[in-house]
Amino acid sequence: RPFYVEPRNIVDEDTQERVSEEASVMNSRMQYYSRLTGSSDRLLIPPDHVIPAPDEIYVYSPLGTAFKIHGNADGSGQNPSIITIFAIWNTMMGTSILSIPWGIKQAGFTFGVIVVILMGVLTLYCCLRVLKSRAAIPFIDTSSWEFPDVCKYYFGSFGQWSSLVFSMVSLVGAMIVYWVLMSNFLFNTGKFIYNYIHHVNVTDTDVSTNGTDRVICPYPNTEHHANHSADLYRTYGNNTEDVFDQWWHKTKTVPLYLIILLLPLLNFKSASFFARFTFLGTVSVAYLIILVTLKAAHLGFHLEFHWFHSTDFFVPEFRSLFPQLTGVLTLAFFIHNCVITLLKNNKNQENNVRDLSIAYLLVGLTYLYVGILIFAVFPSPPLSKDCIEPNFLDNFPSSDILVFIARACLLFQMSTVYPLLGYLVRVQLMGQIFGKPYPSVFHVMTLNLIIVGAGVLMARFYPNIGSIIRYSGATCGLAYVFVFPSVIHMISLHRLGQLRWPSVVFHSFLIVLGIANLIGQFLM
Amino acid sequence: MRSIIFANYIARDTRRLGATIKARLISVYVFIEKCLRLSCLNHSVSLICVFDVEHSHVRFLGNLVLNLWDCGGQDTFMENYFTSQRDNIFRNVEVLIYVFDVESRELEKDMHYYQSCLEAILQNSPDAKVFCLVHKMDLVQEDQRDLIFKEREDDLKRLSRPLECTCFRTSIWDETLYKAWSSIVYQLIPNVQQLETNLRNFAQIIEADEVLLFERATFLVISHYQCKEQRDAHRFEKISNIIKQFKLSCSKLAASFQSMEVRNSNFAAFIDVFTSNTYVMVIMSDPSIPSAATLINIRNARKHFEKLERVDGPKHSLHMRMR
Repeated sequence: RPFYVEPRNIVDEDTQERVSEEASVMNSRMQYYSRLTGSSDRLLIPPDHVIPAPDEIYVYSPLGTAFKIHGNADGSGQNPSIITIFAIWNTMMGTSILSIPWGIKQAGFTFGVIVVILMGVLTLYCCLRVLKSRAAIPFIDTSSWEFPDVCKYYFGSFGQWSSLVFSMVSLVGAMIVYWVLMSNFLFNTGKFIYNYIHHVNVTDTDVSTNGTDRVICPYPNTEHHANHSADLYRTYGNNTEDVFDQWWHKTKTVPLYLIILLLPLLNFKSASFFARFTFLGTVSVAYLIILVTLKAAHLGFHLEFHWFHSTDFFVPEFRSLFPQLTGVLTLAFFIHNCVITLLKNNKNQENNVRDLSIAYLLVGLTYLYVGILIFAVFPSPPLSKDCIEPNFLDNFPSSDILVFIARACLLFQMSTVYPLLGYLVRVQLMGQIFGKPYPSVFHVMTLNLIIVGAGVLMARFYPNIGSIIRYSGATCGLAYVFVFPSVIHMISLHRLGQLRWPSVVFHSFLIVLGIANLIGQFLM
Repeated sequence: MRSIIFANYIARDTRRLGATIKARLISVYVFIEKCLRLSCLNHSVSLICVFDVEHSHVRFLGNLVLNLWDCGGQDTFMENYFTSQRDNIFRNVEVLIYVFDVESRELEKDMHYYQSCLEAILQNSPDAKVFCLVHKMDLVQEDQRDLIFKEREDDLKRLSRPLECTCFRTSIWDETLYKAWSSIVYQLIPNVQQLETNLRNFAQIIEADEVLLFERATFLVISHYQCKEQRDAHRFEKISNIIKQFKLSCSKLAASFQSMEVRNSNFAAFIDVFTSNTYVMVIMSDPSIPSAATLINIRNARKHFEKLERVDGPKHSLHMRMR
C-alpha cells in the first residue's frame, strides 16, 4: 500500500500538524530500512497492516451533507465524471431546498426564476475562480491545499482568521437552522403520532383549504413571525389535549427536548460513525421531489400573473424583496470551501470545468423544479401566495401522511448530519485556536453548550429559517463566493502582469454585488 | 533484526535466510563472549560453524563481542551443534537474549530449546542475565497483543526459574524494538547511574537543551538529559535511524563517521565521538553561543568520561538467541 509523508518544516511552528506522530516515525523507519537492502528486495517492505491509515478528510457544505473523501494516496482521482457530478450535487443539496418556494415568493414568480438562474451562473463563475486559484501559485506544492489555505497564502494570517470566521458563520448558521427545523419536525411528528393514537380529529383553527389534500396557512396575518399572538392568548384547559399541547409546543418545549437527544452526540470524538449516514440526504431529497410531484398532481396549477402590484391572493411578479432570495441562494449554491477536494478525485481533471457546470445546472434545475411547482400549485383562491412558509412543509398540516414521512426522514437525516457539522466546527475552531481538535472535555463541552444554546434560543424566539439562512448565507458568501475569489484572481493576474482593466471592472463589480447582497438583507 | 540494530547491509548470502524468516522459526543464536583485555578473540574463531549455521560477530559496547548465530530453522543441526559445542558456547556468558517468534506454531519445541539453553547457562554461567524478546508482534491483532504477550511472559518467567528473565515485546515496525534494545543496553552499561549524573552536570554546565549519549555501534541511546519537555517522543529512534543511514553511506566510501554539526537560526546540534564506546549529541537552543565553545566543552568532558569508563573493567558477555 503506498505510503507517503510530506516533508515537514520543523522550524515553523504550525498550529495544525498535518502529519501524525505515528506516520512521521514510520516514515523515518522506512527510509532507514530501505537503505539496508537493495531496492528490488522485498524483505523490508512494510506490510499493509502497519501503515497508519490516511487521515479522514471530510467535505461539507452548509445545509448540505458532509461526507468522507476516500482519497488516493498518490493524489490522483479515480472517480469517473458521473460520480463526481453526483457528489457535487449531493453535497450542495441541502435543507435550503425547503426555502426556495418562499424565496421565489419573496422575489415574485418571474423575477424569482430569473434570479435563480442568474445566481446560479454567478456562483458557478466564482466557483471556477476558486478551483483555479491553486494553479496560479508558483513554486509551492499545493496538491493538498484547500481554499482556506490559498487565502492564507495570499492574505497571511488575516486570510486564515477571516476564512475561519466566515466558515464558522456558515457552519453555526447551518447548525441553528438544523435545530429550528428539527424542533419543527419533531413537533409535527409527535403531534401526528399523538393524534393518530388518540384518533383525534384535528380541527385546526388555521385557515386552510378543504378536501383531502389540505394546505394550511399557519400565519394568516401579514405580520408573520413577529409575534405569535394567537398562541399567547390561548388558555389552557384541563383536558388531555390541552395538557399535551402545553407540554409539546413547537417553540417552547420541543427545542429543549432535543437537547437530550443531540447534546451527547456532539461530544463524540470522531465523526466517522455519522458519516456513514450521508446516503440519507440523497434519499430525503429524492423523496421530497417525489412528494412535490404528487402534491402538484393532486392540487393542480394556480397561477395568475400580476406584474407589479399585489392582489388579495397573488404577489406581483417583480418585487423589491428579492434580496431575500439572493441571500438564500448564496447558501443554496455554496460549495466553494470544498470544491477543490471534491474535484480532486475526478479521473479526467481536464473535464473539471465541464463537470462542475453540469453539476450546477442539475442543482439549479432541482431547485427550480421544487420552487416553481410548490409556488404554482399553492392553492391561491382560498389562500394567498403570501402564505408560503420559509419551510414549505409547514404549509401542510401535521395529519398529512406523505408529509409526515418526509418530516420523519428529514428529522432522522438531520440528526445524523448535526453531529458531523458540530465535529467540523470543533476541528476548525479548536484546531486554529488551541492547535489540536480535542483540547479537553471542558473546552469541547463549552463550545457545544454555546452552539446548542444558540439553537434553542433561535428556535424559541425567532424560528424563521428563511431569515437565518439568508443572513448567514449572505455573510459567508460575501467572503467565500464574492470577495476572496475575485481578489485572489486579480492579485494573481497582477503578479503575472496580466491584469487588464475589463477584468478589474468585472471583478470589482462582483465584489460590489456581494456587499450589496449583504446590505440588502438588512434593508429589505 | 541484526541488520536493523547494527546497521549492516543485509549480505547476499543471507538470501536463503529470507525464506526462513518467513518460516515459523527464526533461529539466530547470538553469543557474546567475554573478551578480557588479556584474551583475544580465539573463542569466536573456533566457533565458526560446521553445520549450516550462519555466524558473524560485531563489536559492541567497546569490549563486547556480539556473536550472532543463525541456524536457519534446521532443528537437527541445532540440536547436534548444541550438544557438541555446548560448553564452549555457554561459558563466560553474562547475558542471553533469546528471541521468540510470536507466530510460531511449535510452542513446545521453542520452549524446549529455550529450556536447554537455560540449563546450559545454569551450568556454565549461572550469573547471566536473561532477556526474552517476543518478536513480530505486529502480526498479532492490536486488541490481542497485550493478552498474548502477558501469556508468553508468564510462561517464560515460570520456565526460567531460578533465573530471572525480563521479557519485551518487539516488532521492527514500531518503536518497541528500539526501546527493548535500549533497555537491554542500559542494563549492560556498568555504571550507568553515575554516567547519568555526570551527563546531567555536563549539560547544565554547558547550558545545553538536551544531551544524548549513544552507543557507538548501534546508536542506541544509553542515557540522556533534557532540561524541558520535548514534543516528539520518538525522536531518539528517528535520530538513530538518520545517523545509521549516514553511517551506511559513509561505509560505502570506506570512510567512518566521526562528527557532525547542524545549525540554523533556532538551534545548533553537535554529534561527536565521545568515549571509546559512545557518541554524544548536544543540542543548544541558543544559537549565539559559538560552535567552538561547545566543541571545546565536549572535548574537555571527553577526558572526564573516559576516566569514568575505564574505572570498571569489562565483564560483558552477551548471548542472544533468536527464535
